[in-house]
Amino acid sequence: MNRAEWSRFMTMYRILIRSSFRSRMQYTFNFWVGTAAAAMINAVEFALLAVVLHRFGTIQGWSIAESGYLYAVITLSKAMYRSFASDVHHLEKYLVSGDLDGLLLRPAPVLLILMTQNFSPRFGETLLGASMLAISLGAIFEDDPAIWTAIPLTVLAIASGAVLMFGIGLLTASSGFWLTRIDALQVLTEDAARTAAQYPLTIYPGWLQGLLTGLIPVAFINYMPALYIIRGTHGAWTLGLSVAVSGAMLLLSLKLWKFGLSRYQSTGS
Amino acid sequence: MLFYALSRASFNRNLQYRASHLLHNVASALFGFIYLSIWTGIGETKDLGIYGLSGLVSYVALNQCLLWVTSFTSNGLGIPQLVRTGAIATELARPVHLFYQLMCREWGQIAYQAMYKSLPIYIVYLFAVPLRLPALPAAAASAAAVVCAAYLSICVHYLIGAAALWTTESSWFQWLNYAFSTLLSGFLIPIEWLPGWLGWISRWSFYPSLSYIPSRIYLGYDGIAAIYPSLIWSVVLTFACLAVTGFMRRRVEVQGG
Repeated sequence: MNRAEWSRFMTMYRILIRSSFRSRMQYTFNFWVGTAAAAMINAVEFALLAVVLHRFGTIQGWSIAESGYLYAVITLSKAMYRSFASDVHHLEKYLVSGDLDGLLLRPAPVLLILMTQNFSPRFGETLLGASMLAISLGAIFEDDPAIWTAIPLTVLAIASGAVLMFGIGLLTASSGFWLTRIDALQVLTEDAARTAAQYPLTIYPGWLQGLLTGLIPVAFINYMPALYIIRGTHGAWTLGLSVAVSGAMLLLSLKLWKFGLSRYQSTGS
Repeated sequence: MLFYALSRASFNRNLQYRASHLLHNVASALFGFIYLSIWTGIGETKDLGIYGLSGLVSYVALNQCLLWVTSFTSNGLGIPQLVRTGAIATELARPVHLFYQLMCREWGQIAYQAMYKSLPIYIVYLFAVPLRLPALPAAAASAAAVVCAAYLSICVHYLIGAAALWTTESSWFQWLNYAFSTLLSGFLIPIEWLPGWLGWISRWSFYPSLSYIPSRIYLGYDGIAAIYPSLIWSVVLTFACLAVTGFMRRRVEVQGG
């Protein structure tokens, strides 16, 4: 893709996002109900972890602030991924209904259109994640000036995590070109894996640690960067490796998407 | 007869997707292993009270099996789709109460999920965790508690589904209910370990009836008398469902398909 094409697609992306958001805001009340509910769900999810930590102090040496950091990073990464590529996660409904046929006829890449359908900015999750991140970083670093290094590195980790989640999501969605029904697979690769990544990796048995760093590498969203950024037990290479894994996953998923799309057969229903 | 016909039809419809549901079981079992790992990690160094590590691991594993019966009820019992397509008007006009017919269908779905989802995961956990086997009286009492839990879940999902008549975002209530359920039902952490006000909210809600009560009875920590709150909540929520149906009949507004 050359520069002119890239610029054209980005302009198109902005226009489509804007119109998608405008159509969503026709139901303002419903939009804010959804936003508040999303924030509440995440708060309750974290409360579960906080209750355990409140009672038992630490989980394998990870304090409540450090666990909060892990949770905040993955929440923000997910919010970013689902905001900017909302319907990639919902490809199944397009495949089952045959609605993807209509998208193929439009004069723009299918992936770009899919990313802009039903644009859903995750304000609630973003606000909650950012608040938790601020509290966690404040508690971890207290008056340590190292916090000013940790903040930009955390932003990098969040962006890299969002790309990685997008890559995993797109890879799973691409399998839909052969399987059609992918909801169960998404529960495995996205929901279960993300839930696992909310906790320190060391609590898991070896086979599960291998799964979360190799096959579904969600450990690179928050755990690996955290080892360097907040714990300092490992070098900067953990963050570098996380960014590299995200990049590799993105490339792999784009390749599979392209290949899958070329093999697409409409369900015709 | 109608109960049998509707629930059997729902059960049979699900049989068509047995292979695809196998993957759900793998994901669900994996979720369980994640939660079990948390307690294994904590239990290595901390005292887990009357449960002990093996008791708590059994407790969490059993809750994970029961999710398919007590929590993963059909989203709003399918009412949001009926509202979207406009079919709710026909359903409300039928000579059978809407709550009753949707409940009958859901029992078929629950029976299927118990047989093809909860049971396989239970068997895997019996050997892999290992999950404790109950004494016979405890097994019978906990089965009764599970039936109450499934019924309560049907009632709650009916109320969530009914909300679709007034908002297009009723699915969020489903997720909120699930989130509150994981925290307040004692699914992951027994409710006596919840901090003060949270424990108070939990004890005065129906949520413990979904996980805490059936699992405590199964593991022999409580007797059959522990089921009383579930019975009371069943009556209360039944009346709530009937009252809401009354409101639904007054003014039906569909989303136009």
